[in-house]
Amino acid sequence: MRHEHIETNSALMLLLILVVISIGGLVEIVPLFYINETIEKVDGVRPYTPLESRGRDIYVREGCYLCHSQQIRPFRDEWLRYGHYSLAAESQYDHPFQWGSRRTGPDLARVGGKYSNQWQVQHLKDPQSVVPQSIMPRYPWLLDNDLDYSDVADRLRAQRAVGVPYSLTQQEYEANIAKFGKEIADQLDINQAQDSLLKQAREKNFDGIPNKVTEMEALVAYLQVLGTMVDFTKYDEGYFAQFR
Amino acid sequence: MAQSSALPVEQYNFDIVRRFMIVSMVYGIIGMSVGVYIACELAWPFLNFDIPALTFGRLRPVHTSLVIFGFGGSALFATAYYIVQRTCQARLAFPWLAEFTFWGWTAGVALGVITYMAGFSQGREYAEFEWPLDIAITLVWVAYIVVYVETLRRRTQPHIYVANWFFLAFLLAVALLHIFNNLAVPSGLLKSYSLFAGVQDAMTQWWYGHNAVGFFLTAAFLGMMYYFVPKQAGRPVYSYRLSIIHFWALIFLYMWAGGHHLHWTALPDWVSSLSATFSILLLMPSWGGMINGIMTLSGAWDKLRSDPIMLFLITSLSFYGMSTFEGPLMSLKSVNALSHYTDWTIGHVHSGALGWVALVSFGSFYHLMPRLYETKLYSQTLVYVHFWLATIGIVLYITSMWVAGIGQGLMLRSFDDYGNLAYTFIETVEFMHTPYVWRALGGAFFVAGVLVMAYNMVMTVRASQRERAALEAKLAAKLAKA
Amino acid sequence: MLDWFSWFTHMENSKPLALLLFFGAFCGVMLYVFTGKQRAKRLESYKYIPFDDEPPENLRSEQRSQSPQGDGQ
Repeated sequence: MRHEHIETNSALMLLLILVVISIGGLVEIVPLFYINETIEKVDGVRPYTPLESRGRDIYVREGCYLCHSQQIRPFRDEWLRYGHYSLAAESQYDHPFQWGSRRTGPDLARVGGKYSNQWQVQHLKDPQSVVPQSIMPRYPWLLDNDLDYSDVADRLRAQRAVGVPYSLTQQEYEANIAKFGKEIADQLDINQAQDSLLKQAREKNFDGIPNKVTEMEALVAYLQVLGTMVDFTKYDEGYFAQFR
Repeated sequence: MAQSSALPVEQYNFDIVRRFMIVSMVYGIIGMSVGVYIACELAWPFLNFDIPALTFGRLRPVHTSLVIFGFGGSALFATAYYIVQRTCQARLAFPWLAEFTFWGWTAGVALGVITYMAGFSQGREYAEFEWPLDIAITLVWVAYIVVYVETLRRRTQPHIYVANWFFLAFLLAVALLHIFNNLAVPSGLLKSYSLFAGVQDAMTQWWYGHNAVGFFLTAAFLGMMYYFVPKQAGRPVYSYRLSIIHFWALIFLYMWAGGHHLHWTALPDWVSSLSATFSILLLMPSWGGMINGIMTLSGAWDKLRSDPIMLFLITSLSFYGMSTFEGPLMSLKSVNALSHYTDWTIGHVHSGALGWVALVSFGSFYHLMPRLYETKLYSQTLVYVHFWLATIGIVLYITSMWVAGIGQGLMLRSFDDYGNLAYTFIETVEFMHTPYVWRALGGAFFVAGVLVMAYNMVMTVRASQRERAALEAKLAAKLAKA
Repeated sequence: MLDWFSWFTHMENSKPLALLLFFGAFCGVMLYVFTGKQRAKRLESYKYIPFDDEPPENLRSEQRSQSPQGDGQ
């Protein structure tokens, strides 16, 4: 076979190019779905509650991922600064993933519980008021905007379609009870999505404004759950190494 | 020229090339200006003005989409349509479909940018367009492929020239990447959730992200290089055989390299090691291509002194060589541990994007202007001015990003004598202020250069219109006399 | 069913295999491209394709692009 055969036949060239460019992706991506060790076996990781999920939508909307990563690497300085390195399991329900690629601001993978709700609200409203040298934009409108939760069930339904275990049927609901316990299973039930969103907002009052559900409420709810799902004291140092 | 302008139709469809070139310049100017603006926001955060649409998080995709898809994409449409016609000696197939690609692409980019500012984003870097736009872009892309391949099939020249191989690979790969990376389930008109999650989603995204660089910003622009460098130099490419190796090796190896964006993350080690290996191998075809381009001038180096367009093309290849050396270096896990998450990456991208992609496009546009408008370029001197503004801009940009990136990386990992972290995170942010100011200045230089080019272009087009009008008047007078 | 995939994910298997396959292919292509005087001549002759495209009615621009100063002089 001569190279001329390829250069004089556009269909053959097209086909060969397709073959050559497909190999890399096939070899590197397809196995990730089949190899069991890709995602660590670990307890505690659950889908986001309706309120947290709406907060995540706002996180994506404002492009937070362009300055903040959510992926801690296994280095000593990152361990000291942010905590245990990130597991694949911790983002298994993240559609899309928000690992990020640039730390203009610090990593947020384990920011949950690190600061009070009040601090988070103040910081988002006016970052320089708590960190004077910060170059983060201010997000005052998050406090002014009421959260639109009218379509929260649709949003959860879409996530269910891509594999997040939000429940629609009784059977799915019971499976969630078995897996996550009743309290969580209720929050993952699409049929009561609006109610459980309002309930969580009322009980926790993340934005500090009673009787009002703002976008700030949802975003802080999301930030406060980041990295808190896995209890690392339950696992030996080195347990996770087998999955890497 | 008198004869050709009197002809009812041009031999080739240059109209679509002219329009894509103009749109490319317009999107380029807007996109790069937005880039300078967000660079200033990082240096002086008050510029966010508490306006949602102007915050860094929403403007950054505006910048990247405008320069990659608006400027780069339109430049590729223009040059692909030009090169395929001239190397096949066939007129562009399906003019109405080509027309559709023009309006579809231009409107798609504009709508995408508006939706970002309104807060609609998929949250995937360089693939932020929401699902309706993704579908529209897919249609435009398929039309692009159909027009391009059908023109190839109508060629009167038996051989497909090497530039077209690169364009073909770019067309196919981008279609593949775009479709698989944007698989999602919508929950409303402008909101969707990606099909994959977590680690698989990350790998898919960076397979896309890296090959957007590899095929959109490299392979296709190499196609540009393989045509315009020989044409501008008036001599054939250095080695056709090298270009065969260059082509197949490049398109094969690139597709493996995406995982190096995810070193030390929850991505399994075997993938990132494999990606790093292929990233290093990638150095060879990249440099092969650079050598092939630069050595085209072998024996005629004096052209660099007399021809500013050649200067643009050859400098772009030098930056290409530089950033394809830096890339494999940064894909080494030990280097990546420092460089990842820092501005070193941003600097690296811009040495490729400004130094290679933009400069080779400018060179090609300068080559095209007199040919598309059948007149002389308005000013050679302004081409030199543009060249120096651009080069100074790039150097300022990448040096300041090296300082910011390596500096922040080193500060973050340094410990004091007691084993505690030596710096808080915010101290690194403070440190980056000065490099950020320099970076914004570098960007401003670069934009100033583009503005000079736009002026040169406008004056060239106006001269062409004047000449044509004068010619037509002369013809009319002759006819009246006869 | 897809267990055989995991064989490839073990570095000690996939590395030599990939090396063999790709290096073999690479050597084959290199040998094909860079050996043979006739073949070299033939392949190199295609690099003049971009210069076949000057339309005959556009003689002036052809002369221009072939002048050593390049375009726009």
